[in-house]
Amino acid sequence: MTDRSKIRNFSIIAHIDHGKSTLADRLLELTETVSQREMRSQLLDNMELEQERGITIKARAVTMYYKAQDGETYEMNLIDTPGHVDFNYEVSRSLAACEGAVLVVDSSQGVEAQTLANTYLALDANLEILPVFNKIDLPAADPQKAKQEVEDIIGLPAIDAPEISAKMGINIPAVLEDIVANVPAPGGDADAPLQALIFDSQYDPYLGVIVYYRIMQGTIRPGMKVRMMATGAEYEVLECGYLEPFGMRKAPELSAGEVGYFTASIKTVKDTQVGDTITEAARPTAEALPGYRPAQPMVFCGIYTEDGSKYPDLRDALEKLQLNDASLTFEPESSVALGFGFRCGFLGMLHMEIIQERLEREFDLDLITTLPSVIYEVDKSDGTTVRVDNPHNYPDPALIAEAREPYAKVSIISPPDYVGNIMPMCQERRGIFKDMQYLDTHLVELHYQMPLNEIIYDFFDALKARTKGYASLDYQISDYRVSDLVKVDMLLNGDQVDALSFIAHREKAYPRARRICEKLKENIPRQMFEVPIQAAIGGKVIARETVKALRKDVLAKCYGGDITRKKKLLEKQKEGKKKMRSLGTVQVPTEAFMAVLRLDEE
Amino acid sequence: MNRPLGVYFHIPFCRSKCAYCDFCSTAQWDDGMMDAYLAALIRQMDDFFIPGGKYPVDTVYLGGGTPSVFGGKRIARLLSALEKRASLTRSAEITVEVNPESADKALFRVLKKAGVNRISMGVQSSDDGQLRAIGRIHDFARAKEAAALCRDYCTDNLSLDLIYGLPGQDMESWLKSVDDICALEPKHISCYALKLEEGTPMYRADPPRADDDLQADMYLACIDRLAQRGYEQYEISNFALPGYRSRHNQKYWDLSEYLGFGCAAHSFYNGKRFSFVADLKEYLSGMEGKNPIVEESDELSYGNRVGEFVMLALRTTDGIDESAFHRRFGRDFEPFAKRLAPYAASGHAVCEGGRWRLTPKGFLVSNVIIGDVLEACDPQEGGMG
Repeated sequence: MTDRSKIRNFSIIAHIDHGKSTLADRLLELTETVSQREMRSQLLDNMELEQERGITIKARAVTMYYKAQDGETYEMNLIDTPGHVDFNYEVSRSLAACEGAVLVVDSSQGVEAQTLANTYLALDANLEILPVFNKIDLPAADPQKAKQEVEDIIGLPAIDAPEISAKMGINIPAVLEDIVANVPAPGGDADAPLQALIFDSQYDPYLGVIVYYRIMQGTIRPGMKVRMMATGAEYEVLECGYLEPFGMRKAPELSAGEVGYFTASIKTVKDTQVGDTITEAARPTAEALPGYRPAQPMVFCGIYTEDGSKYPDLRDALEKLQLNDASLTFEPESSVALGFGFRCGFLGMLHMEIIQERLEREFDLDLITTLPSVIYEVDKSDGTTVRVDNPHNYPDPALIAEAREPYAKVSIISPPDYVGNIMPMCQERRGIFKDMQYLDTHLVELHYQMPLNEIIYDFFDALKARTKGYASLDYQISDYRVSDLVKVDMLLNGDQVDALSFIAHREKAYPRARRICEKLKENIPRQMFEVPIQAAIGGKVIARETVKALRKDVLAKCYGGDITRKKKLLEKQKEGKKKMRSLGTVQVPTEAFMAVLRLDEE
Repeated sequence: MNRPLGVYFHIPFCRSKCAYCDFCSTAQWDDGMMDAYLAALIRQMDDFFIPGGKYPVDTVYLGGGTPSVFGGKRIARLLSALEKRASLTRSAEITVEVNPESADKALFRVLKKAGVNRISMGVQSSDDGQLRAIGRIHDFARAKEAAALCRDYCTDNLSLDLIYGLPGQDMESWLKSVDDICALEPKHISCYALKLEEGTPMYRADPPRADDDLQADMYLACIDRLAQRGYEQYEISNFALPGYRSRHNQKYWDLSEYLGFGCAAHSFYNGKRFSFVADLKEYLSGMEGKNPIVEESDELSYGNRVGEFVMLALRTTDGIDESAFHRRFGRDFEPFAKRLAPYAASGHAVCEGGRWRLTPKGFLVSNVIIGDVLEACDPQEGGMG
């Protein structure tokens, strides 16, 4: 057990590419937590996908020991944070496990969008924020200007903050000294009833779920029966200890103020959700830690394999991913067009994309996905209410008494210059303006009520694009509101393609339907007959395109008896045909589905 | 007695290379190279024809490239070498491809003397602008002249080639080409769609030209026009006055045996399809034993043969007679017929008196139809192989 006054729990926050991961590497090196030889660049992001996208998807933590200039050795717990609006909740829980945050600012860039967004999250969590000015080795570095910006825009004292180069290893000890001196030591009582915050958990095939937590009060030790207060799950702790870059180090016990892990043969991460409070079953704490939100998928889509026979592989893969991801849900569904697949639920679009990419890369599956949807509520005229997360199940308009869609409370923080860009964009997406507040002269916060449906497709990307990346977005589902919703069906040669149906607000239905028709036309090859592409609401066609009949596909010449060439051509044709889905009489390449899905990226 | 063979010689020399051509041919040659090539062809015949065996041959075809560039004398020597090793039937069809610019009186005289009784000439268009655009080095007047010389000094059994879908060609100029060609009174006409193969200069230049719809219309219009003039279509791209179908080409479509000599030449012999390297230098060094010359070799299973037969016979207007099919292969045509039936309904195919064939509209999309029909092949047998 470490003396609590010698513990420092902190995160590193930064705008993307400002050097968060490089600084983390240097801290690990300097504290000899890893040797240079073991050093892999940007150690904390250890998923391949994260490294490519340059974002941290899942939080990780590591315990370092630092001998400070005062001669004392400090236990420094670095807790990493994910960096996307889909994971804001996870970030907030990671920050809640800390007393301080190191804010990395690129000396050549100054304050940028995520600098602000992350700072606000850290301030929300009442953290001590220590600015650090990085990349002073760059010719364009202007730390004085960057410091001035931090003082002016964020209002943090920055003049004496360390000026460093994480890449070149310049002045790194100053960061650690700063943390020792200015991040408060954790409070808490080792003898009080256990109260620990889960900020992450991860499934391991041998150990079961590994739970990452920060102890607020009390002590945890092997043999103790613990209870997750929100889920009610109870387990006996098998092993606990500290987190190291390449694994874990067992310890007899951890107590208030410390960060570590425990295992208890837990089968599913659903039992150990981020934000939940761990307590001792026999001597529970009086109240759970605030801020818990059950993982709740908000965006749904159908996921199918291109090769229908891979359906069981898809199920296995989803089961494996779910072991590690409490917010991923899935249940079987089937589609006339796409065969057997799963309706999957995600936190948001990024989460959805990450899961799709992991399925494709780690499990080598070729996927077809349907348009994402939110959950709609529909009161039918017979008095029953249905929740619809799949357009296919949307009731017949004649049977609908009232339809409602989820709205979210949206908060956008941005420099005032961009308000003129943001407001029309929100309006266009049916946002209802609530208020606007100046946080200081340099920052303004806008509040909207907006249909979730309008947020999930491309709102975040569009917001970034129209504010040069400066605006930050947070949203939370607030309520369901009555809405003029319609279900739009897509028909190919008169046959409905269930996988392409979508639900939209009546005003939005037509432009969207038209674009889908156009996309399909571009992507469906000419067939032996003319193929009408139609979008219809009920029986009424609202948009139409036509794929003209194929007129010419012939190998005119079998030259000099070269039959092989002709055969190869037919083979190639056969291969191409395998990638087609037969929808009624029409052959549709899987790219057509992809193209429709990517509609919003353009 | 064996069934007579077809023999093909590939002559890979041209005076200049056309912008759309991806066949094995070169414009960089000299007499030494041609002599070496002739020697190699003769040596290759020695490998095939057992001395004294006198295998019967009833069609001979010299294609290219431009055989006329090879010169009448070499062609004559080649044919006489063949005659020594094989037994040409009395009525053997002996075709030589020529190009207008290299066809003169002397050549035709020599060819006639060497026994050539059919000439195939690439005219391609009667529009000089279009000819220039595709890199032809003759104009239509030269083609007319060559056709007349052929008739006077060699044979009136003349076949002319045309191409539709050329840059700058519209329906009107296409039909004018068709009419102009007919005026030369050939016995046989081949009409090909321009297809730009990767790696050709024209593929890279990608000049504006008729789209698929217009090409389809050009094709259908040409079939009508030629029918009016008495030319019967007998294969996707081939038309003839009665009695003048190319016997050699028909061997390709009915699974008859043929041997191909020279670089890039294809053979179907003894149940095997094989071809030689499509590179002149590689072929010549290969004939000296320095490298292998067989590029592809494919033994056809029984199922392959059925599949190939269906694929090839559906290219012809004779199509497939259900009972003849049954006699030949000992199996029902019914699974194939089942797949053809919807195309009959849509006007792409017809069945008359148990004989299935594609219509002109069907020929235009024959890749799709044939691909579909062949799915009736038993995959256990390898289908197309």
